[in-house]
Amino acid sequence: MLDADSVIRCDGAGEALILELHRRAASQGFTLQCRDARGVVARTLERFRVERFTSSLATPHPVRHTRLCEQLGRTCVHLATGFRDQTAFLGEATVSALSLPRQAGRFRLRDALLHFERAGIDALPIVLLIGFLLGLILAFMSATSFRQFGVEVYVADLIAIGLFRELGPLITAILLAGRSGSAFAAEIGTMKVNEEIDALVTLGLRPVTFLALPRILAATLVMPILSTFSVLAGLLGGVLVMAALGVPPLVFWQHAIRATSLNNVLFGLVKAAVFGLLVGLVGCAHGLQTRRAADGVGRAATAAVVGSLVLITVADGLFAVLAYLLGV
Amino acid sequence: MTGSPVIEVEHVCAGYDTALLDDVSFQVNRGEVFVILGGSGCGKSTLLKHLIGLIPPLGGTIRLMGDRLFGSPEAERERAMRRFGVTYQSGALFGSMTLLENVCLPLESFTALPREARDLLAEMKLDLVGLKAFADFFPADISGGMKKRAAIARAMALDPEILFLDEPSAGLDPVTSAELDRLILQLRDTQGVTVVMVTHELASIHAVADRCVMLDKTARGIIAEGPPAELRDRPPNATVRAFFQREGNRTGASGSHEVSK
Repeated sequence: MLDADSVIRCDGAGEALILELHRRAASQGFTLQCRDARGVVARTLERFRVERFTSSLATPHPVRHTRLCEQLGRTCVHLATGFRDQTAFLGEATVSALSLPRQAGRFRLRDALLHFERAGIDALPIVLLIGFLLGLILAFMSATSFRQFGVEVYVADLIAIGLFRELGPLITAILLAGRSGSAFAAEIGTMKVNEEIDALVTLGLRPVTFLALPRILAATLVMPILSTFSVLAGLLGGVLVMAALGVPPLVFWQHAIRATSLNNVLFGLVKAAVFGLLVGLVGCAHGLQTRRAADGVGRAATAAVVGSLVLITVADGLFAVLAYLLGV
Repeated sequence: MTGSPVIEVEHVCAGYDTALLDDVSFQVNRGEVFVILGGSGCGKSTLLKHLIGLIPPLGGTIRLMGDRLFGSPEAERERAMRRFGVTYQSGALFGSMTLLENVCLPLESFTALPREARDLLAEMKLDLVGLKAFADFFPADISGGMKKRAAIARAMALDPEILFLDEPSAGLDPVTSAELDRLILQLRDTQGVTVVMVTHELASIHAVADRCVMLDKTARGIIAEGPPAELRDRPPNATVRAFFQREGNRTGASGSHEVSK
């Protein structure tokens, strides 16, 4: 018996209650009697027919044990398609880079210079600052240990070799990925969302040649230069700390210069260029793969930075193995 | 219906991953304004993307002036793609370039003209759409209607034979939208382009269309084909009647068009 005589207005929860009561009554084989002076129940039942609704309060939501497997599968598919897209992009970029000499007019040198300025010159202050602080910290930490053996002067060797070979390129690449890799992805992604990429294609221009190559080239060329600046700033930081700890700057420089072989410098520069190439490739690839949704550009930028960092680290490891094998 | 077909669509199965339209065939004749219409989500825009070569259709063939866009050598495809211009719903102008540079871009990429000639040509195209005075403006600084017109100028840069317009009047007020309709007719009459347009704006359909096809989501194909006045006066089925009359009433009641994507 449902007494709804005094119900004036019925909201969504009330309607659900009426529906549920009717269903339970029906499932247990008796009909629910209603006192329904204002017709609220009748109107509800008229609007929502009981048999059309399947979810019920009586049966709890089934716990899905497949969820983990499903997510795992989805993630794998996602990773696999991501890898396929990256490979496809790499192939397309290579093809359009190789076909450039035949169609020199299509390449936008002006764009490349613009990105060179944005990714390089504009990044100089932060690169110098981080490099300087890195040298400072490195000098300070190693000096305390080296002092126990009375060989503080060798801090200069450590800083010079460490920065040129390893930390300079690495830290600069991380900065480039954060500053420019994300920017590449966001710029190209926004163009994709605005249908500008489609417009390029229908104008007969390849988005990869037109948008990606100038950026990739700029990133590759700018990295060795930025990396060198960061190393020099780091050495400056080292000099200052060691001067404060009693090692004369001249001695520091002599040690640093003697420790720096041409091999070290070249190895670092090559590494920097490869890191730059990776940042450019990954940034542009994620930009071009942006989904047309509000969160698409954000996701593309995030994926560009994360992807670049992973690849940089992997490449760094490969370089270490390579250096070991070649004895550089 | 004079002239030879410039676009031949034969048994096209349209869709991106899953088919939206099963078997679509129609022809567009030279020099006509052809409108593809239908409710939201029926596959109009997807069909347009097949026509302009962005997405390969799931089946069937599309020929533009005899050249196939898909399944043909790259050279044939590129040649076909250079013979039409496209404007997109949002205008899709390149935000980092001025209007003049936007129009110049295709000229720069595909002609060996000297810079002065390119600039003059681009300026003439902008004049064609009434935007000569705004040549040095950036897309962000002009109104929606002007963006659409600038996009038409860019699409016209290489003197295409076909112009594809994706919802040109979306998001425009009735007066601007009517101006755009006049521009489309003027381009057809003076430049001799064939216009293919996707829209569901009833006022523009009646103003510009020579012929239209109507697509339907549940029928998964074409449910009507013919001049718009004929479809309005003698609708072949209930869906067509509902489309033409409901929108007609709405336009009459509110005094303005309603545009929804």
